[in-house]
Amino acid sequence: MSTTTATMRATDEPIEPVRKTRDVPLPPEQAFNLFTSRMSEWWPLLTHSIAADEAASVRFEERIGGRLIEITNDGQEHAWADVIAWDPPHRFVLAWHPRLEPAAASIVEVRFEPTEQGSLLHLEHRGWEEFGTEEGTAMRDAYGPGWDAVLTPYLEGVQDRTSSPA
Amino acid sequence: MLGTEQFAALADPTRRTIFELIRARPSSVRELSDQLPISQPAVSQHLRVLREAALARRTSMGRRHIYTVDPTGLSALKEWIDTTWNDVLDAFVDAANHEADQKESKQS
Repeated sequence: MSTTTATMRATDEPIEPVRKTRDVPLPPEQAFNLFTSRMSEWWPLLTHSIAADEAASVRFEERIGGRLIEITNDGQEHAWADVIAWDPPHRFVLAWHPRLEPAAASIVEVRFEPTEQGSLLHLEHRGWEEFGTEEGTAMRDAYGPGWDAVLTPYLEGVQDRTSSPA
Repeated sequence: MLGTEQFAALADPTRRTIFELIRARPSSVRELSDQLPISQPAVSQHLRVLREAALARRTSMGRRHIYTVDPTGLSALKEWIDTTWNDVLDAFVDAANHEADQKESKQS
């Protein structure tokens, strides 16, 4: 009985988010721009897309509430993610949900730190490992249906800064 | 960013809910079905998919089967996510290196 209980409890061990760093020989402004605005120039679509050899390009909508979209040869769009934080050239955060509904999104955060050689890229993919735990649920509540609470102040801030349409 | 068995298994919302429930508390099919608007056979089918993806395990407790999370599946999912981002970031760094080389040759 105690052995079975111990086995069951073993599944509570936390799994760490995926974290990566890379040295980039470009200053943050150029690195950020290459990563986001020019993503179609380098993203390995053939092996890392929904449509594989039918995938034609990716489009990164550069604003809070924007989407990261894969576009196929015949013009179909597949949304991979929503932009939930946008702070060029330092940082952006995505609600990552390729082939899933937005409420099931995990979080991808990318930061560019200035260095002598250019930049240090930090990537963290988190939330998927908390799946099914209280922490994960709380995090999803913050970024899921509660997105409106997160996004609305940003969107209002953006509108304030741009001239209002006629 | 597609296709491991684990990713596919968790893509179904009901299956995800079942996974959440057994992660919170080891449960029988009956206990899960009581908490969900689906039948016991439907729950069993979802659990089969989770087991095949190494996300759930079945243990015998007397005459009942109890389902718990299998950490093997989550580890496999992590490895796949890790590999995927390695590939993506390698491609990005290649592009950045190319860009930096081009800048240099323009300046010389």
